[in-house]
Amino acid sequence: MLSLDVLGPGGPYRSRRQETIRDLAGNPVATLSLAPSLYVTRAIKAMRRAPALPLDARVAAFARAARAFATQSVAGLTPEEYQHTVSTVTGIPISVVRHATDDIARAAEQIHRSVENARPAAAVGSWRDPRARDGAAVWTRRGEVFAVHAAGNHPAVHQGWLDALALGYRVAVRPSRREPFTPHRLVTALREAGFGDEGIALLSTDHDVADDILRHADFGMVYGGADVVGKYAGDARVLPQGPGRSKILITAETDWEPLVGTIVESISSGGGTGCVNATGILVEGDPSPVAAAIAERLAALPSLPPTDERAVLPVQPVGLARRWDGYLRQRAAGTKAWLGGDGVVDELGDGSAVLRPAVHQLDSPFAEQLGLELGFPCAWVAPWDRDAGLRPLRDTLVLTAVTTDAELIDALVAEPTIANVYVGDHPTPWMAHGLPHDGYLAEFLMRTKTVRCGVVPAAGVSGGPPGARCRSASAPSRSPARHR
Amino acid sequence: MVEHTGGEFVREMMQWHFSPETGSPFWLKRAGTLGFDPLTDVKDFDDLRLFPNVVDELRDVGVHELIPRGYGDGHGAAVYESGGTTGQPKRVMYAAEWQRRSVEWFSERLDSHGVPRNVDWLSAVPSGPHNVGAMAADTALSRGGVNFFIDLDPRWVKKLLAQGRTDVAGAYTDHLIEQVGYILAGQDVGVLFATPPLLERLAHHDDLVELVNRKVRAIIWGGTHMDADTRDLLRDEVFPDATFVGGYGGTMMLGTSVERPGLGRDEPCVFDSFAPYTTFRVVDPDTGEVVPYGERGQVLTHHMSRTALLVNNLERDYATRIAPVDGGFGDAVADVTPVASFGDTTVIEGVY
Repeated sequence: MLSLDVLGPGGPYRSRRQETIRDLAGNPVATLSLAPSLYVTRAIKAMRRAPALPLDARVAAFARAARAFATQSVAGLTPEEYQHTVSTVTGIPISVVRHATDDIARAAEQIHRSVENARPAAAVGSWRDPRARDGAAVWTRRGEVFAVHAAGNHPAVHQGWLDALALGYRVAVRPSRREPFTPHRLVTALREAGFGDEGIALLSTDHDVADDILRHADFGMVYGGADVVGKYAGDARVLPQGPGRSKILITAETDWEPLVGTIVESISSGGGTGCVNATGILVEGDPSPVAAAIAERLAALPSLPPTDERAVLPVQPVGLARRWDGYLRQRAAGTKAWLGGDGVVDELGDGSAVLRPAVHQLDSPFAEQLGLELGFPCAWVAPWDRDAGLRPLRDTLVLTAVTTDAELIDALVAEPTIANVYVGDHPTPWMAHGLPHDGYLAEFLMRTKTVRCGVVPAAGVSGGPPGARCRSASAPSRSPARHR
Repeated sequence: MVEHTGGEFVREMMQWHFSPETGSPFWLKRAGTLGFDPLTDVKDFDDLRLFPNVVDELRDVGVHELIPRGYGDGHGAAVYESGGTTGQPKRVMYAAEWQRRSVEWFSERLDSHGVPRNVDWLSAVPSGPHNVGAMAADTALSRGGVNFFIDLDPRWVKKLLAQGRTDVAGAYTDHLIEQVGYILAGQDVGVLFATPPLLERLAHHDDLVELVNRKVRAIIWGGTHMDADTRDLLRDEVFPDATFVGGYGGTMMLGTSVERPGLGRDEPCVFDSFAPYTTFRVVDPDTGEVVPYGERGQVLTHHMSRTALLVNNLERDYATRIAPVDGGFGDAVADVTPVASFGDTTVIEGVY
């Protein structure tokens, strides 16, 4: 049995209170330490006092951590053991976990790209830059400690907070109790690669203490449903990451038949558990043939245990799978089922069940189900026309628009609630390192300030305490929240 | 009050509370609707289960009805109230002898933990109608010290938290900590008596932690629960030089139970009640049966003294059942938590 300790600024911490993490069949796999509130408070205080590594050291540490994460034993687990554990606990297909491992490693290796891409073009990274002598915009952190309530739906979701660490924040990760293995491995690798115990922490807590992490950090990011988004909507220090509600729009002048493969991939790749998986398919014209075609393709996906090499669909304990199924059926009432109408639960006989894809057709693009995102391949196909306009397309993480209408593309790109627009035959889960996922995290965590600094910095110091007295650089950093 | 076998003690208490010369008007009237005769049917601790739980009746009853006639005019009664988050609080009456006896017992427990005498106390515990404040003041005085109070209204905090106004609750807590800070800075405080939330909040302030570590030799905590991990951190890392003594009490117990002295670092915090007057039973919430030692269950309390009869009161708390100290009555309890936790998973829309 694995012991997943809290990883705090004083080293690993094992609490008396332990939560048991079980695999799909109910066998205990690991115990997770849960930090009490007081531990969290003290940990974040210690992290705030710790100095940030210089940028070059951060980038180098990321590269080392990436290698360890993907190819070496970390916290006693080989990559294969880690991947197998994640798959047996979460039911995410093993090939998806393996792919996510590589993806996280690549994101870490190339972290400098998103940092550089996010910096305003005219801003310099340090007051030591010669351009600051006569006055320049210097890109600086808005705080010192960043906290994240991480999600457990997919391992790759942990790429989401890497930028904060790369920007010099000390980062406290509260793992999802559904899947603490990936953040435990990633945080361990980053600590050993050079960020140290005070640079990055894994603060597992129960629900009651979770808010304390956000309260004591300067800024935070929280993954969750609409309730979570609503809860933090008024808190300028917290960036909520809500449901993705990713969508595909196919306009009338486009031939949809060659797109079926892309649509199916958008709905189901990665097991269909991601925020970038498409849930809404909007078709200008009759959506029925599109629904029929994707239902046929999705119906052919095999039901297999998650550790099977050929598995592509998510698996859950039967009880939970049935609850998902019941919820889907309740919400799908009154729609036309093309797939999954008589249930999505396919029992594997060991207490677990595959969640099979569902495809439903809606009468209207304004039907409330269009944004209903569930943790398995589940698509809602609806008609769309120009009169419906942008409204059904709002609140979308990734919108693939297969259209040639430049005015429509203008409107989609301009729409503030659509985070990413892919025009043409591109699956919604497509991502490239160095490009923003939901804006750059740096847009939230950094600011520019004018620095005019006519003194020559003392040699050999980079990123540490300034050798020369220069007010802008040596002013004590404070939580921006205190100024509000 | 003399100590003897459990049965003798129970019968003596029944005599006191249900004899017309000594019993309280409340119990003498209530006896008619009990459906059994306490004087003949209640012979030992186990028979206490015959009694109904009357604590809810304590919201409305006139407090004079609770004073046993046996005390005559010399009862010296004081009235204390429960937390009272909604509606009328429950009221209990302490005769002067019971308060004195409780203070003596509490003080003996503190001696057994090595808590110093002849030092001043700072008590950051509920004041006003809550007995814990009076216990603090009287115990400090009886041990040769004076007690410094702060104003602390727990009902206001609970009300704020129930309404989700955590920011206002936080501001109130800051206000309390400010009061604590003035006393810590200006007075020579040797014992700090505080609730766990206030100790935690105190731990956020490095300057106050430094003052506590320099001046305070013993920290007594009580009033609310403290989880075992937080206790470890406070004792071992934040306030490593102070002796820690925990209390678990309640208005309906008419007093507090106190941490057993001599427990090892890794042992859970075991609380012994002031038996035979206040006793615990740890029971299965579904069957009402006493759980085996080492198992968890719900805490049932009995209080029997000349001052009050409040038996068969099922608390909201859960605890591990522990054997009492040699010759003791009832159970000791460990790892007390507010409610049992449930691990059911519900469907939440969205992929996170």
